[in-house]
Amino acid sequence: MSGGGVPGGTRGRRSVTERDRPLWMLLPGGVLMVIIIIVPIAIGLVISVLDLDQYTLRQWLSAPFLGLGNYVEALTQSPLLRSFWISISFAVISTAVTVPIGVAAAIATQNKFRGRALVRSVFLIPYVLPSFVVATVWRTMFQPGGIIVNGLHAIGISSGLWLNGPQSYWTLVIVEIWASWPFIYLLALSGLQSVDHEVHEASALDGALWWKKLRYVIFPYLRGPLSLACIIAVLSHINNFTLPFVLFGVPAPDDVQTLPFLTYITSFQSFRFGLSAAMAFMSLILVAIPVFVYLRAVKLDTDEGGRK
Amino acid sequence: MGIKKTRTAGLIATAAVGALALAGCSAPANSNGSTSGAGKTITVYVGANTQYAQAQQQWFKDVSAAFEKQTGAKVAFETYASGNDELTKIQTSVVSNQGPDIYDLGTTFTPTAYSTGAFVKLTAADWKAIGGKSKFIPSTLGISGPDANDQVGIPFASRPFVMAYNTDLLTKAGISAPATTWDGLAAQAKKLTGNGVYGMAVAYKDNYDPWKYIWAMDSQSGNPLVNGKTATIDDATTLKAYQTYFGWLTQDHVVDPASVGWSNNQALAAFASGKAAFFPMTTATSIHTLDSSAVKGKYKYALMPTVPPGATSLPSGGKPVASILSGDNLVVAQYSKTQDLDFKLIKLLTDDAQQKIQYTEFGNLPVNASTASALESSSPALKPIVDASAASYATPFTGAWGDIELGLVNVVVQSIPKLAGGSVSDSSLKSLLAAAQKTAQSSLNRAK
Repeated sequence: MSGGGVPGGTRGRRSVTERDRPLWMLLPGGVLMVIIIIVPIAIGLVISVLDLDQYTLRQWLSAPFLGLGNYVEALTQSPLLRSFWISISFAVISTAVTVPIGVAAAIATQNKFRGRALVRSVFLIPYVLPSFVVATVWRTMFQPGGIIVNGLHAIGISSGLWLNGPQSYWTLVIVEIWASWPFIYLLALSGLQSVDHEVHEASALDGALWWKKLRYVIFPYLRGPLSLACIIAVLSHINNFTLPFVLFGVPAPDDVQTLPFLTYITSFQSFRFGLSAAMAFMSLILVAIPVFVYLRAVKLDTDEGGRK
Repeated sequence: MGIKKTRTAGLIATAAVGALALAGCSAPANSNGSTSGAGKTITVYVGANTQYAQAQQQWFKDVSAAFEKQTGAKVAFETYASGNDELTKIQTSVVSNQGPDIYDLGTTFTPTAYSTGAFVKLTAADWKAIGGKSKFIPSTLGISGPDANDQVGIPFASRPFVMAYNTDLLTKAGISAPATTWDGLAAQAKKLTGNGVYGMAVAYKDNYDPWKYIWAMDSQSGNPLVNGKTATIDDATTLKAYQTYFGWLTQDHVVDPASVGWSNNQALAAFASGKAAFFPMTTATSIHTLDSSAVKGKYKYALMPTVPPGATSLPSGGKPVASILSGDNLVVAQYSKTQDLDFKLIKLLTDDAQQKIQYTEFGNLPVNASTASALESSSPALKPIVDASAASYATPFTGAWGDIELGLVNVVVQSIPKLAGGSVSDSSLKSLLAAAQKTAQSSLNRAK
C-alpha cells in the first residue's frame, strides 16, 4: 500500500505525486474484480427480477420480468423471515459460545509444557476436517439408537430426537460449535503471540494476580484479533450450507432451515431460480451489516488509518 | 443473433448460476456433425452405481467397444454421485447449450426434464431408429412424456418396487401368503410382531420412501394427487393414507420405534437380520444384500398391497397400483450434434443383449418385452418383480411433480417428533397437508 510516495517529500510535492500516481496499475485487479464479483452480482440481480424457473431456463434472458415480485413473494409467501431468524440466532449463539472456549484453549496452550505441540495439533482437528465428514459422523452419532442417544440413555437421560423437531436446532448449534471453535482459538493464539515479553515481566514485577493480569494486560492485546474472529465467525456460520444439508438432508426439519439451505431448496429442488436469487440478495444484505459495522469499527475504510 | 450470441449468453448464464452455488461444468467437446461415427465420441451421463461399481466400469468399456465396432464412434460415460449432481449438470447444460449427449434420468424426474424443453421430442423416425416402440413393455413408456405423441424419455431400465417377506416367520405364524390389502397386511404384521421381531420394516426418515406409499395408497383410492392443473393433496384419501402409514407405528405397533430415524438402507438391514417379517418398499437390487445376509433362502418377493386402506376391494375409480413406474429413461439433448449416433447407441442399449446384461450385472429388470418374457420363464422367482413392473403406474406427468414429492415427504419429516412421541394428531396432520396442498397448487399454477 505504498502508493509510490516519495519518502521525505514536502507537502506540496506529495500532492503532485498523488496526482501522478500510476493508477493504471490497478487495472488488472480491477478487471478481475469486475469479472469475478461485479458481473455475477449484476446477473444475480437481473435473475432476481425475472420469473426464471425450469420452464424458462432455456431462454433465460427472455424470462418474464417480475420487478420486485420475487422479493415480495420471498418476504410474504416463503419461510424466508423464519430462516433469517434461524440463521442469525444460530450464528450469534455459535459465536458467543466458541469465543470463551477458543480463548481459554489459547491461554491454556500459551506457556510451554511437555506435549504442547501435540495438544495444539489435536485442537485443530475439528477445524481441518471437511464439513461433510463432520456432519456425516455427527449424524450417525445423533441417530435414534446412535452412540449419543444410547450413551445418554445409559446414564438415565432420555434425550429424544436430535435430527428432527425443535431439538434439531440445538444439534446444529452443537456440531457447529464443535467444528468452529478452533478458528477462534487460532486467532486468539495469534493475538497472544503479539504480547511482548516485557509486558509479562512488568506485570509480574508489579505483583499482578493472574486474573488482573489477564483482564488488564492480556485481553487488550486480544481485542483486535478477537473482534475480527467474531465477525468472520458470524459470517461463516450464516453461510454454512454443508453442515445442515448433510446433517438433516432434504427436506429438512423446519427448525434448521437456514438461509443458504432455503435458497438452495428454492433453486435446486423447486427450480425457482428467480425467487432464490431474490432470497440470496436479501441474505447478502444481511451479511453485509456485520461487515459494515466491523469496517467502521476498525476504520479500514478510512484513509491511511486517519493519519491526517 | 445466431449461435455465437446464444453461446455468450449461455456462458454468462453459467457464470451466474455458478454464483448461486453451482459447481462448474466441464463440457465435453463434440466433433462436428456428419453421420459417420469414426473419430467421434458420444457422452452419456449416468448415475454412479455404488453397489456394483467395478461391474459398471467394465460395462462402460464393453459398451464403448461394442459401439465402436458397430459405428466407429466411441462412448464416454460420465457418472453422477447423486440426484443433485445430475440436476446441476442438466441445469448448466440446458443454459449453456452444451454437455452430455445422452442423459440417464430417473423416471420421476423425466417430467421436470421434459418441462425444460431441452430434450429431443421423439418422432416416429426416431422411434424407428431405436428399434420401434413395440419392442418395449408398454407400461414402461408410461412416463416418457405427457401423451403418446410428446415423448422424450426412452425406457432403459425397470426397477419396480416390491415387498419382501420372511418366509420362515410367516410359516411359523401360520400365514400362507402375504396380504393383498393394506388392512390385511397390518393385521398380518400384528400377528408377526413379538419376540424381538416386528411385523414390518418401514423407513420413516427416508427422503423418498414416504411419498411412494402415500401416492400408491391415494391412487388405489382413485386420487392420483394431481387432477389436471389441480392438486388434491387435501383430500380425505390422503389423510387416510398418512394415518395408515403413521398408524403402523402409533396404533398397530408393528414397526420398530427406532424406524423414525431409518432410511431405506436401515430398514433393509433390519429385514436382512431377520428382525422384520415384511419389508414393503424395496427393489430387485436388494437381492445382492439379502442373499449375503441372515435371511438368505428365507425370503421372497411379492406385490405390495393394491387395495387401499379401509377397503376390502378396489374402489371404483381406484387403480391397482403395485408400484410407481420406477427405473431409468434415456433422453437425448437437443444441442447434441450427434443425434443419429445417439439413437444408434440407445438402440444398442435397449436391444436384447444389453438388456440381459442390465439384469445379470446390475439387477435392473429389462424394459425390452422379449428379454423380459425370456427372463420370466427362465427364473420363476422373479415373477413377482416382473408382475410389479407390469402393475406399475406412472406418477402424474407435470413439471410440478418435484415440488409435490417434496411436499409429501415434508409432511412426514415435520411429523417425526410427534411420531416418535407415539401419536400424530389429525389436526397437525391436516395443517401439514394444507401446507403441502398450497405448495403443490402454486407449483401447478406455474406449470406450463
